[in-house]
Parts: sequence; structure tokens; C-alpha cells
Amino acid sequence: MESKNVKLEKTLKEYDAGGMSRRSFLRTMATLGVATAVANAVAISPLGALNAFAAIKGAEDRAWELAKVAAAKATKKKLTLLIPTGSIGNMTPYAEKWKTELGIELEFIEEPDEVVHTKGMQEAVAKTGRYDVMMPTAMSYPDWIDSGVIYDLTDWTEKYDPELFNKEWGVVFPASHHAQLYNGRVAGLLNDGDQITLLCRKDYLEDSAKAKAFEDKYGRKLAVPDTWKEYYELAQFMHDPANGFYGSLEYRSPYYVKWMFMQRLVSKGMLYFDGEMNPTFNSDEGVAALEDMLAMNEYLHPDAFSFTWSSNYNAFGRGEGFMNIVWPSGFKYSKAPSTGPATTGKIAATVMPADFTKDGTKLYAGLFCWGYGYAVSKYSANPELSYAYAQWMTSPTISADAIPYLGGYSDPYRVNHMLKPTQRLIDTYSPEYLQTLYDNMVNTVPDFCLPGGFEYQDALDKEVHACMTGSKKPKEALDRAAQKFERITRRIGKDKVKKSWLSLAKNLADPIKKSTGADKWS
Amino acid sequence: MHDKKLSPVQTVIMGLALIIVLFPVFWILMTAIKPPTDWNASPAIWVPSEPTFVNFQTLFDPEALGKYGVGGVSQPATRAVFGSLLATIVSTTLSVFIGLFSAIGISRYGNNSKSTPLVILSGRMFPPAAIAVPFVIIFSNIGLIDSYTGLIAIYVAVTLPFSTWMLKSFVDDLPRQIEEAAMIDGRSKLAAHLTVTIPLIKGGLFATTMFIFILNWSEFMFALVLSYSNISTIPVQLAKYVTATAGTLYGVQAALAVLAMIPLVIVGYLIQGHLARGMTFGAIKQ
Repeated sequence: MESKNVKLEKTLKEYDAGGMSRRSFLRTMATLGVATAVANAVAISPLGALNAFAAIKGAEDRAWELAKVAAAKATKKKLTLLIPTGSIGNMTPYAEKWKTELGIELEFIEEPDEVVHTKGMQEAVAKTGRYDVMMPTAMSYPDWIDSGVIYDLTDWTEKYDPELFNKEWGVVFPASHHAQLYNGRVAGLLNDGDQITLLCRKDYLEDSAKAKAFEDKYGRKLAVPDTWKEYYELAQFMHDPANGFYGSLEYRSPYYVKWMFMQRLVSKGMLYFDGEMNPTFNSDEGVAALEDMLAMNEYLHPDAFSFTWSSNYNAFGRGEGFMNIVWPSGFKYSKAPSTGPATTGKIAATVMPADFTKDGTKLYAGLFCWGYGYAVSKYSANPELSYAYAQWMTSPTISADAIPYLGGYSDPYRVNHMLKPTQRLIDTYSPEYLQTLYDNMVNTVPDFCLPGGFEYQDALDKEVHACMTGSKKPKEALDRAAQKFERITRRIGKDKVKKSWLSLAKNLADPIKKSTGADKWS
Repeated sequence: MHDKKLSPVQTVIMGLALIIVLFPVFWILMTAIKPPTDWNASPAIWVPSEPTFVNFQTLFDPEALGKYGVGGVSQPATRAVFGSLLATIVSTTLSVFIGLFSAIGISRYGNNSKSTPLVILSGRMFPPAAIAVPFVIIFSNIGLIDSYTGLIAIYVAVTLPFSTWMLKSFVDDLPRQIEEAAMIDGRSKLAAHLTVTIPLIKGGLFATTMFIFILNWSEFMFALVLSYSNISTIPVQLAKYVTATAGTLYGVQAALAVLAMIPLVIVGYLIQGHLARGMTFGAIKQ
């Protein structure tokens, strides 16, 4: 009887030779138990089916081989994962396979997402070895690496190649660099493409009466906004508070409001620091960004000052606004009939609006904010097995399968997730939104993925919020935040933060580097 | 008992006060029986048209919410309820027991040193966040982290100053001649305190127990910091009811909050007579 591998090889060769249609190829691959993600990607790969199959499934296979060896050696037959509450849905479908095929039990320790960073820092002093794999956001890596609680994964990634930078199925650049590396070394493997994009109500855009009224008033077609000015005008036009319908739902609440500022700031061609670690957000661009936000306040949902991500999603899903700035999970939420009864089938998504730099260049810039990944604890009893788990879960094939599961934060982050999606990814998101995610992600700027990142972020957030509530003028708030930044930099050590900042800035998209002057930093 | 009736103005004010006080309880009760579609409805749904016990069911069967398309709840609350009961009952008993004898000791046999109150209260002078990390290090080294023994030890350490000082005020207010009379009758010091002092400050003892019970029952930070996976309590579990697909699970949180209220309501009801007496004891004596 022919083995499965022999059948697989024959099928691939036959397809390469042109002896099989794409449809029958996919059907045969499915019969052989090859995941749809792999089959799809292989079918359209320019490498040819045989080579593409070996390549795309390579990261998964290499991780599995390592896992088998490490599991056999392991004295502790359990992997313990520190994960944020609400993320388990992407992981549980595979626990049985690890148990039955490797004899390794997966134990998930859930903690509220706001304490995961603290739990990691706590482990740095407690050294309990209770965690093997830890799932922080990208901002945790610098502090965790410096405090010695997680491994530098570079040697493992060089040996087992998780295909992080592959052009066809690697993590989308530049998130591949700024959400996984610290000072050029791999600190974690990304498993969640957290970027913010703009959602609009398609049914309102397609309303002919509104389209005419809009064109009469603004002299252009009613469509998703291309610039922040257009975004403002659309919010103004659609704002209808008498009927409980508001121009936009973006955040003005503590903790979230900094991202609304940072997004606008980078769109104006300004980063958070210059090449010498001097804060730059208290510049004219920063003040203009805050003034834009103050002007928008008039057209925001009344709960904007208290929104959390979930209450924001709830309000948009109930049909209480025309636009929303959301993470990809917000799109999923609004698309599903159970959670977005008023928005299902009525969403037009677009990349974050562009703005103009001082020299008049139109700049598209997104923000990669949050973004979970897997790190390996230095106190793990089975570090190689832990690494194998991280690579296996984030491989192009398994990740494409894991993302659409309910009850997890994981959103598309690899090229194949967005440009060669499986049917399940398409059903969960939509081809248009996956393309939007890709178009936005290639222009993203990282969060404060620096030593002391959470402190910088918190200082900025408090001052921006103070400005939004009217207790500080824009310039005053930003100057105060800049003072706090300088203090944090001094305390942590300017050279240390600068090294990390320059390393981050080196991997920005070219238009952003050019506009911000980061292309000339050294 | 006086039979003077309330004036209409007093009745209105009392009614308003009751509405304000009971509104959160009403809202939690209603949210606990709302289906997910009603949790965040706007305008708010005050009383669910189709009440359900699915939120309570989810506490013990995490997949119950699946029928509403909400996945991602992974842990039943059973362990948290058990953990809260265990940690609270044991630590409250220990805290009140030790506090009672400390109070008698200070009140009856102390040297009236002014530094004693300061020393006892010093444990309460630091915000919990400031002392949590040192405890993590110490407990990690002695193997008490992620254990109920460690959590109970912390709870006793944190509440003992309260129990000591609350009970001391009750013992202080008791004329020592009553105990001396028992001793003249031939009772030992310990027997005199057990048979005279303690029964006479029963109201204060119940009030203190209730107060310490509430403190331990609602404690969040130490439980969060000292736990990995072996221990859990209700306040920590409440913070974990967030899923990627539905956000904060307000209904499930409310259901657990309702369960968390039950012991307090029962204990409060049973000791209400003593509670009133205990809380006003000092005032009457003064």
C-alpha cells in the first residue's frame, strides 16, 4: 500500500507537470490531510508545487521534529504557558495533538492582559520556573530580555528557521522586525497582528441621498477617507446625535488615547524621538495632532472618554457610529452577526488616513500597537521544547489554521495570511479586509518597544488625556510629557535606549524613514 | 422601640437613599440574568425580557455561552469559589483569634507604651503594591508562592492590625472590675477572659469578624500577585472574564458577583443584631 508521503509527492509532481487542475489538486491535498492553508499557498506559488510544499511547511515540520526530540528528553511532561485572558481559543485546538503525539500536556495560566508584563517582571525576581512559554506584547521584550527572564531566540531561529522574513509567507515587514526583535536579536515570535485600521459604514457610503448631499457640500465623492482632513469632514457630515448616531468612535479614554495621538503624529511625519533620543512630539506636528483630536471631540460617540476596546466594539456593533478606529479583532467583531448585529455586511475598511508632512508630502503611516508573541522563559525546565512550541504555533501553516478560531486574540500577521488566505481566514475577515490589513501593515510604526516602554507610554497617555479633558493646553501637555520622557531616558540610560530606538527606526518603511529624517540617523 | 412615623419628606429622602443604595445590587442581579445580547444594549435594558441562567451556568460550565457564539471562556469558577472560601474563612478565623488575645493582652496587661500602636499599625502603613514584590521573593524562596498557606499568611498579616485594634477598643470599654470579680471567684486569668471578657464583647467580636471577612473576601492584589495556577480567588477570577470575541463578559461577572454576595448577606443577616451593637458599643460606653 502506498504511504501518504509517497502519494503526496506524486500529487505534487503531477501538479508541477501540469497534469492536474488547481481544483483537483486542492481536493487531493485535502484528502491527504494537508491543511487548506498549505494547499492554497502551494498551488499558487511561483516556486512550483514540490518546492513550495517543502518550503512553506518547513517551519512547522522543523518545529515538530525539534518538539519530538525535546519531548522525548523532557523529564517534566508538561508545558506551562502564561497567556492573557481571552486568548486561549487560538491554542486549545492543538492541545490534544501535543498530548497524544508527544506526550506533552499543555497547561494554560491565564492572567488579565494588563498584568502579563508585570507577571513576567515578577518571574525575573521570583525565578519559580512556573512558566515555560510566555505570551507578552512586543513592548515587553526589551525589559524582559534585560531582566534576564526570557531567552534571546536568535540561535534557535537560525537553526530551525521559523521563516520570519520569507517574502511569501514571512511576517509582514516591518512588523517582522519591530514586533519580534530587540536590538536586532529575536526576542519573541509574533502571533498576533495588532495594527489599527479604519472602519466605515458601507451602507451610509452607498446611500444615494447622502452621496449627493456630501458631494454638494464638499465637492468630492462620498467614499472612505483618504486623509485625516477627509476623516474629519466625514465625521462632521455623518454625525447625527439626535438619532444616536455619531461621526466616529475613536478613543479618548485613559490608556487608549495615546494611540490616537501617536497615529496622527506619525502620519504627519514625526516620530516620538529624534536620533539622539530627544522627544520630538512636542513639536508643531504634535500640537497640530492634538488640535486635530480636540476638533474631532465634537463628532465622537459620547462614551469615547470611557471606551475600553470591548465597549468600543460593542457600540460600533450596535450601529452607533459611522467610523471606528479598531484592531483587526474589531473588524471580526463587527462582521459577526452575533456581536455586530447592526454592522454585519455593512463595513468598508481602509488603511489609516494619510496626512501631509511639512514639505507637503502625503504620508501613509499606520501604528502597530500591542501585538502578542511567544517568548521562552529562562527558568523553563524544557526551553527547547518551549521554543519548538512557539515556532510550531506561529509557523505559516499552523498559524493560518489557528487564527480563525473563536475566543482568541490572534489576527493575521504573515504574508500568506493576508495575500494567500485560507477559506477560513476569508470567512472570518474577507478578502478586502485582509488586503487592507496588508496595505496598512507595510506602513506601520512600532509602539514604544524600548527599555522602559511602558513608562514612556504611560507618561504620554496621561498628558494627552489631560489635554483632551481640557485640563492642559496642547503645548503644555506635550512639553510636560517630554520632560517626563527625558527623565525616563536619563534613569534607564540614554545610550541603552538610543541603541534600541535606532535599531527600531532602521526598519521603518522607506517613506516614513525619509519623511521623519530617520534615514539619516546613525 | 418608638412608633413615631416618618414625615413625608423623611419618607421621600429615605426612599431616595434606598434607591441609590440598592441600585447597584439591582443592576448586578439583572445583569446576571441577561443574555449576552442584553449586557451592553443601548438604550440599557433594565429588566431582561428573556431572563436566563446561562451566566450562572457558565461559571461552572465554561462552554455554556457557546450557544450565543461566545467562545474563549476557559476556566470554571469552582476553584475560585472554593479558594475564596478557604482563604477567607481560615485567615479570618486566625486573624480574629490572634487579634482577640492581642487586644486583651494590650488592653489588660500592656505597659501603655505609646509605640505599641505604631508598631502594630506599621504593617498597614504601606500600600499593598509596595510590599507585594518583596513577599513574592520571600515566598518564592520558602516555597509558599502559589499556595493557600502563603495566601492565608498574607491575609492574616494584613488584617491583624485591624482586628487587634478594633477588638482592643471593645476590651478597653469593658470595666476590668468584672473580670477581676471572676478572678476573685477563683477563675484563672485565661478562664476569666474566656467566660467573662469574650461573651461581653460578643457584639464587637462579630462586627470585627464581619469586617475582616469582607476585607479578605474582596482582596485582589495579593491574590493576583501570589497566584500562578494552584490558587485562585473570586476577585481574581472576576478580572479574567474577558474574551476576544465578546469583550468583557459582564453577565458572567455579574453572576459571580451575585454568588460572592451570598456569604456576606447570610453572615450579615445572621449577626445583624450583634453587628449593630458591636458597631455602636464604643459610642454608647463613651
